[in-house]
Amino acid sequence: MTPLPLTVISGYLGAGKTTLINRLLTEDHRLKFLVMVNDFGAVNIDRALISAQDKDVIALTNGCVCCTMGADLYMALGDALDRRPRPDHLIIEASGIADPLAIANTAIAEPELRYAGIITLVDADNISDLLNDPLVAPQVRGQINAGDLLLLTKSEHKHPAVTDLFASLGLPEPTTLGDWPISGLLAGLTQKEQQDRGTGHAEYTTWHHESDAVLEHEMLVNTLKNRPRHLFRLKGFAQTTSGSFEVHIVGKNMDMKRLDTSHKTTIVGLGLAALISLQEIQEWWKL
Amino acid sequence: MADITVFGTQKIVTMDPSLPEATHVAVRDGKILAVGGADCADQWGVVRHDDRLAGAVLMPGFVEGHAHMMAGKMWDFAYAGYHDRIDPQGVLHHGMTTIDAVMARLGEYASGLTPGQPLIAWGFDPIFLPGERLSRAHLDTVATDRPVAVLFSNFHLMCVNSAALELAKYSRDTNAEGVVKGPDAEPTGELQELAAMFPIMRRVGLDFRALSQGEDAIRSYAAVCRLAGVTTVTDLYSGIEDEDLETMLRVTGDPELGLRIVPALGATGGSPDDIAKRALALKTKSTDKLRLGAVKIMTDGSIQGWTARVKWPGYVDGQPNGIWNTAPAEIFTLCEVMQREGVQMHIHVNGDEAAEVVLDALEAASRKYPWPGARHVLQHCQMMGADMFRRAVELGACTNIFSNHLWYFGDQHSALTLGSDRARRMNAARTALDEGARVAIHSDAPVTPMSPLFTAWCAVNRQTMSGETLGAAEKISVAEALRLITLGAAYTLKLDSEIGSITPGKCADFAVLGADPTQVAPGALKDVPVLGTVSGGHVFLL
Repeated sequence: MTPLPLTVISGYLGAGKTTLINRLLTEDHRLKFLVMVNDFGAVNIDRALISAQDKDVIALTNGCVCCTMGADLYMALGDALDRRPRPDHLIIEASGIADPLAIANTAIAEPELRYAGIITLVDADNISDLLNDPLVAPQVRGQINAGDLLLLTKSEHKHPAVTDLFASLGLPEPTTLGDWPISGLLAGLTQKEQQDRGTGHAEYTTWHHESDAVLEHEMLVNTLKNRPRHLFRLKGFAQTTSGSFEVHIVGKNMDMKRLDTSHKTTIVGLGLAALISLQEIQEWWKL
Repeated sequence: MADITVFGTQKIVTMDPSLPEATHVAVRDGKILAVGGADCADQWGVVRHDDRLAGAVLMPGFVEGHAHMMAGKMWDFAYAGYHDRIDPQGVLHHGMTTIDAVMARLGEYASGLTPGQPLIAWGFDPIFLPGERLSRAHLDTVATDRPVAVLFSNFHLMCVNSAALELAKYSRDTNAEGVVKGPDAEPTGELQELAAMFPIMRRVGLDFRALSQGEDAIRSYAAVCRLAGVTTVTDLYSGIEDEDLETMLRVTGDPELGLRIVPALGATGGSPDDIAKRALALKTKSTDKLRLGAVKIMTDGSIQGWTARVKWPGYVDGQPNGIWNTAPAEIFTLCEVMQREGVQMHIHVNGDEAAEVVLDALEAASRKYPWPGARHVLQHCQMMGADMFRRAVELGACTNIFSNHLWYFGDQHSALTLGSDRARRMNAARTALDEGARVAIHSDAPVTPMSPLFTAWCAVNRQTMSGETLGAAEKISVAEALRLITLGAAYTLKLDSEIGSITPGKCADFAVLGADPTQVAPGALKDVPVLGTVSGGHVFLL
């Protein structure tokens, strides 16, 4: 069975996690998301989109399901894996202070899960206070550092104060959360898949590479390690001097799995157009 | 009219100042009718004398104010700990002081399993076995044809054999944090934190929740309690789904169980309002033997895990400050909502910074929604000093102190975590009593074994495993300690009108002992034999 991709939505209290989750659930993406949240009551979805609801589960007409996490994250993960049919993608809302890496690490450890990124939301209004509060600053910084994608919420534009603060702390600058369809980026759809699903969008930069050449293994690994920071998603197969590999990159996480059968090199990449251009990717990929 | 049974004993230590000692107690309808001599109940009618307890010393049934139901069901697995420990059947398991001894015990255990059945063990603690590090090479000597998983005593780590690694598809290519690799780049078998443990747990059927719910877990917990003389016990972080509630009501309703359980609902998985609503709904389902309605709130981690939130000067070896499991802002909201809704809270506070945040949160909540008699309980209170106990008194909050830590981890706290100055001041029962705080002391079983007499011994003697006395100034008297494991703990559960002393009108719940704890040397308090319990007038001898 294909591993179930897991994305963690992180961010301190009030950073807008539930708003983002509402958006993910209702965007037109034709994917069956299973979303696990802490506070079920806060999820506020248009009634017309709900096909069934009880005290712990909301089923949407588009096939997505939102449910409560309950007291035990790991039990909830087990339940998600046992679900038939399996959803296309699992999204977990980390609680306000939780370390998203600890949750996402499960996806790296568990063979039936696949790491699909950490999105950390940064609240433009109060992030300065949080990063100056000795009680919580270390954990808030940890969430920011863990994020594969940092999104600035509660602000439509870049916030100079936030930009300066993040620069002074050596933290990567968050991207403004616009109204582009975020589900496609999460699910890491290729351009073709997006067109098939009718969700292709100018906000994404996509890149594709195909070749019959056998790549020098060390060189490939080094190239992948030195990828542009905003190349959010890279997936496909690579044929190298050490064999054939399946490659998955999400943000900072890179996974290469050796294949038993030979497979020619086909790789697709995906990033946000605001952060990375096709030219930048092409200049990076010299293999 | 119901029967009156008069139990004759060697001595009764009542914990009731109006009659501190007696020889007989009369029971009717599961309650204490009269206390005194053989004729104590004669004015109430015809009595039946029962001499089953004739050679015993009775105390009020002990009250364990902080433990977890898992303490019973853990024994479904092999014990691999350093200390001697008694299982629910009363069998003594000798502690294993070398890795070889652990392997030998696991080998014996494996021979009793069916082919291919996973071997799961618990209670292993490398802190006490310096030098060699447990690895899959050790565990492969136990079995290669079945998965073997040894849980460490803190439940945050485990070590597994090669067969288990294979089940989880762990190999040199695994990049997951917490899958420890050796110099040969292969996994050593050690797995750190739940993310790395999850693939194994899922495949060997190790489910923490199943250890904490269901009829087996409850009965096994009752057996653990009986061995310790405990007749009222908490389960401080309970899931309590609807089907769990049904089972709990049925099993605790069985008079043969002989135990009153006070579960606290884990405050997670919903908004504070939803949690309060759930707690209040559960409260209406309470029976004599199942007392629902309180919640448990987590705040920081543990001191020995360097995850407790501590104030300046922090950890002595320079470790960074610990972590919040609930953000301070959320603690404030939870405290406010629970206070407003009238839900009693048990609040975990190990480090002094966590205790301070909680005291601040309780103060803010009580300014908004005054509630005399709320009796919220600060749990663990390991680093609270006189100033914080005074604040707890001002706020009417109880303090349940983790005295067992003095013996189990006192040496480590001196040397590795807090340093000797603060270690001497830890679990400050003397200060708490002197400041007029409402105090209980606890085991946090299965973290340390449940035994209120041992917990009392710790508070009285403050002796560490190495034999040192840790902070003699914080010692309390035997009489004080005995009060803390009876009335003191009962008060924190709002049950002091029903249990905690042998007083007419209260439940006929007794600890049946083989010696008088008030007469033995303070250093022998932990060795007073427990012969059984009486719960609601039913006698349960071991």
